Amino acid sequence: MRKLSRDLAHALAAEYVVGTLRGRARRRFEAFIAADPAVEAIVREWERGLTPLAARVKPVEPPARVWKAIESRIGATAPASRGAWTSLGFWRSFGLLAGGVASVLLAAFLFISSGPRGEPVFVAVLTAPDSSPRMVVSMHSPNLLRVRTIKPWKDTADKSLELWVLPKEGAPRSLGLLVSGDTMIRIEPTDPRVIGANALAVSLEPAGGSPTKQPTGPVLCSGVIAPVRKA
Amino acid sequence: MTTDAGQKRLAELLGRAAIGDRKAFAELYDATRSQLFAVSLRIVRERSLAEEVLQDSFVSIWNHAGDYAQAKSAPTTWMSAIVRNRSLDVVRRTRETPDVDDALAANLVDESAAPMREAEERAEAHSLHQCLEELEAEQRQSIALAFFHGLSHSELAGHLRRPLGTVKTHIRRGLLKLRECLGRTGAVERF
Repeated sequence: MRKLSRDLAHALAAEYVVGTLRGRARRRFEAFIAADPAVEAIVREWERGLTPLAARVKPVEPPARVWKAIESRIGATAPASRGAWTSLGFWRSFGLLAGGVASVLLAAFLFISSGPRGEPVFVAVLTAPDSSPRMVVSMHSPNLLRVRTIKPWKDTADKSLELWVLPKEGAPRSLGLLVSGDTMIRIEPTDPRVIGANALAVSLEPAGGSPTKQPTGPVLCSGVIAPVRKA
Repeated sequence: MTTDAGQKRLAELLGRAAIGDRKAFAELYDATRSQLFAVSLRIVRERSLAEEVLQDSFVSIWNHAGDYAQAKSAPTTWMSAIVRNRSLDVVRRTRETPDVDDALAANLVDESAAPMREAEERAEAHSLHQCLEELEAEQRQSIALAFFHGLSHSELAGHLRRPLGTVKTHIRRGLLKLRECLGRTGAVERF
């Protein structure tokens, strides 16, 4: 694919955002957006420039059935029994704040420590957006979390993977950076970061971790904390 | 640029939706649905189509919330772009003949609209309006019709009773001027 000049990219991006770039030209330009981060950045600039106009449109309340339809569609990917450990939809279907198994909190697990015969008391399978399992987080001793990588990511050499806990309310809290292979993280049950937390996520961050103490990169994988099931 | 608390909250909700938090996603929907529905309704012009757009857009927002962090835009901007793009897709699929109320053409924005909550967006909108004021009337009108109502070049030509080439030139020159002006006012960095 040839490279667009900056002026041409601006001209096309502007018409793309305004909506006058149509048909095949629009599709072709979308391919340029996908292929070239510089072109994508120019589109974002135009969106930032023009979208404030859209905020001046008088709000119109949509009917309740729209949300009902959205809810059923985002929940439709939730197979309740089959492939449960590997399905992101399964984890999402719990709702991070719902009752039952998903609301078992990290702090509670930290207090319980390990189960009979030294089995881990919980396992959180972190799945990627395509539902493939990528990491397993397990609790092996009163204050030690083990994070294992099932399938590493490519092109993360100059980046860091950061583990986050998700509290009931408020922003994610960092549990630290992950190293390749296994990472052991020491957490005390009284650690304020784990109080009320019931899900974990890993984001891709600049080397050394998020500069803002909040996830800035894409979420690579996530999952709720659930007890090991008795066979 | 300072980020307003409202946008910050929406960004946080998007972050939580990215990891599967449905409650956060519901709050995100409640906070933005009426604005985004209105944006789509203007373009697709039929409630049933706008409902379809809103539904598809939020399913897409749920599935791609993890990408938001890389967009470097305000949450409302990012979400509006998704809704606008999908609305334009629907227009392409369903509409062939122009059908625009003339009164709409004269109104660039709805002045009865609720005041925006976000100071940052207000400032951006202010410089955007200033820049639009600098355009020639036909340039401004063409861009606004296309932006708000999803009109194509040929629909604009029919509606404005101008040759297609003239309309295309108005849009192109208008946007070029806009780029120059927005860059000057600092509304958009690096423009």
